[in-house]
Amino acid sequence: MARVIVIDLSRHNTVYVGHDRYFVLHAGGPPLLVRDHCPHRGGPLSLARPTPDGRRLSCPWHGTKVGVSAVRRGCLPMVRSGDEAVVLLPDGTEPVSVLRKEVLANLPAETGPAC
Amino acid sequence: MTPAEVRIGASLGERLLAFARGPLFRGDAQVLHAPNPYRRALAPDALAASDFTRPLTAGAPSAHRALAAHRLLGTFYEAETVLLPEQGLAPLHGDFDLFYGADLRALRENSVSELERFAFDCLADAVDVSGAGTTDVLESYFRHVVAEAATGPSPALAAVEAARDRRTAADLYVVQLALDGLTEASAMSRNLGGAYGPEQSALFKIFIDEFGYGVHDAKHTTIFAKLLRSRAMATHVHAYWNFYLAGPLATNNYYYYLSRDHAKFFRYAGAVTYAEAVFAPGFVEMVKVFRGIFGDTVDLHYCDEHAHIDEHHGRITRDQVLLALADRHGPRVVPELLRGVAEARLVGGWFEEDTAAQIRWSDDLARYRDLASNARTGRGAEPDRIVLSPDAPFTTRTRDTDVVLEMAAGEADLVATPTGPPERLARGDVLLVPAGRLHGLRAVTPEATCLVHPVSPSLEAPDSRPATATADRPAEQDG
Ligand code: FES
Repeated sequence: MARVIVIDLSRHNTVYVGHDRYFVLHAGGPPLLVRDHCPHRGGPLSLARPTPDGRRLSCPWHGTKVGVSAVRRGCLPMVRSGDEAVVLLPDGTEPVSVLRKEVLANLPAETGPAC
Repeated sequence: MTPAEVRIGASLGERLLAFARGPLFRGDAQVLHAPNPYRRALAPDALAASDFTRPLTAGAPSAHRALAAHRLLGTFYEAETVLLPEQGLAPLHGDFDLFYGADLRALRENSVSELERFAFDCLADAVDVSGAGTTDVLESYFRHVVAEAATGPSPALAAVEAARDRRTAADLYVVQLALDGLTEASAMSRNLGGAYGPEQSALFKIFIDEFGYGVHDAKHTTIFAKLLRSRAMATHVHAYWNFYLAGPLATNNYYYYLSRDHAKFFRYAGAVTYAEAVFAPGFVEMVKVFRGIFGDTVDLHYCDEHAHIDEHHGRITRDQVLLALADRHGPRVVPELLRGVAEARLVGGWFEEDTAAQIRWSDDLARYRDLASNARTGRGAEPDRIVLSPDAPFTTRTRDTDVVLEMAAGEADLVATPTGPPERLARGDVLLVPAGRLHGLRAVTPEATCLVHPVSPSLEAPDSRPATATADRPAEQDG
């Protein structure tokens, strides 16, 4: 069975499952709980900024542009009703904690030339 | 405008008003509706076409236009079922012809999808489902929300238990159940046709239980009527129409809404599975509360039956409908199944909160007289003036903001419960009606005038719903 946690989206935007970190991404459409992990070398995607077209996140470590659709595909199952979100985590025994952190990936795209 | 005069190009509001102002839907001077399933009061006072220009929101399920919209939608849906009066059709043939006739049918068919969008599009904002769905995820989520529902008494039953006048409060609760109880499983019947394998057969088993295996005395509507009779209440379909609250109306309509459109079949399967799973513990609780109030004088066969059979229905729908559909049709359908569960949980909350709030207010009207005396009513604003006469049609309504009612002339009864004594308002009396609370006024002198003052700013919001039921709950973990 999956593990169930309930988070209040008005207060929390980050979930730790053991050493794995997830954050709530607002990229058009419903909020998604996505892995805070750049596919290049694990950079913190929550601190990425969207590219001007909003389709990719620009990783703060080495600048890889990670497609939002790819990030979206790997999101954790979540059912949101109002501010309450029920998250379904894979079976396991790692401790889980939730907190609020700065998520730059939800800010508007940086202006200026995309690098 | 008569139905025939409403032509293409009329707005949704104009079409709905043309429907609601038909002769069947004006209400009559009686508080309870007569044994005539075709007549019911539809449009509360001062309903305007413009009330239907802005969709409803999930946060205001008992607003004035929400009540009107759900009365209309419920009537639309019921016109797609067979309603015949128990005493025979002979004296009501004209009403039968009108209710099912071409004029109203055309208006219904031209409006129902738009009215559904008006009423239920808010669910798309209120609930969303993300991430890869698997049967395991579905089962975990389902077990979580069902366990959560089973952990405490329902807000509505808790309000019954806490009321000063528990009998009146209990009757008010039963009336909300009557909406479905007297036409039970009608929505479900729409999803029985077609060909979808063992899951279809599982759903049919539940349906036939509801219908008493074809034995009329065992049909759930029959045993629901026994409950009403044991309370000396009317048993005909929608005698208590004026007392159905917007939240329960919306909850009932939701199942029709899903089952009318087979594209929403998987949402329906999620929703009905949730409902069946939470009914059994709900009825166990209801039996406890009602026995405590009425002792042996109330017939709770209906509740005992559900407490028993819904345990089976809960298991059958979970294993043989919900999870079986997920297994058979794969991850593409799981988000829809999850959405159905989540939405049913949300609209079930509308039922509970609205009923609880109505019980708390109607049980404590003396305090609302005091609150009215201290309320700050809008200075300079002209109050609405309602002129009442004893033979005018009686209807109930809600308001979107707190108001103070003030009797300016004559006397009237404020009616807020189906069976409790009305609250007599004499000249000069004032009473605070919070936003969303259902009430009707009935003149007891040849003429009576009531002024309606908006309260500004809101003195208090005793009945406002929290944004979410669990907004303040700390994050938690489930094994
Ligand atoms: S870790 Fe993200 S670009 Fe290198």
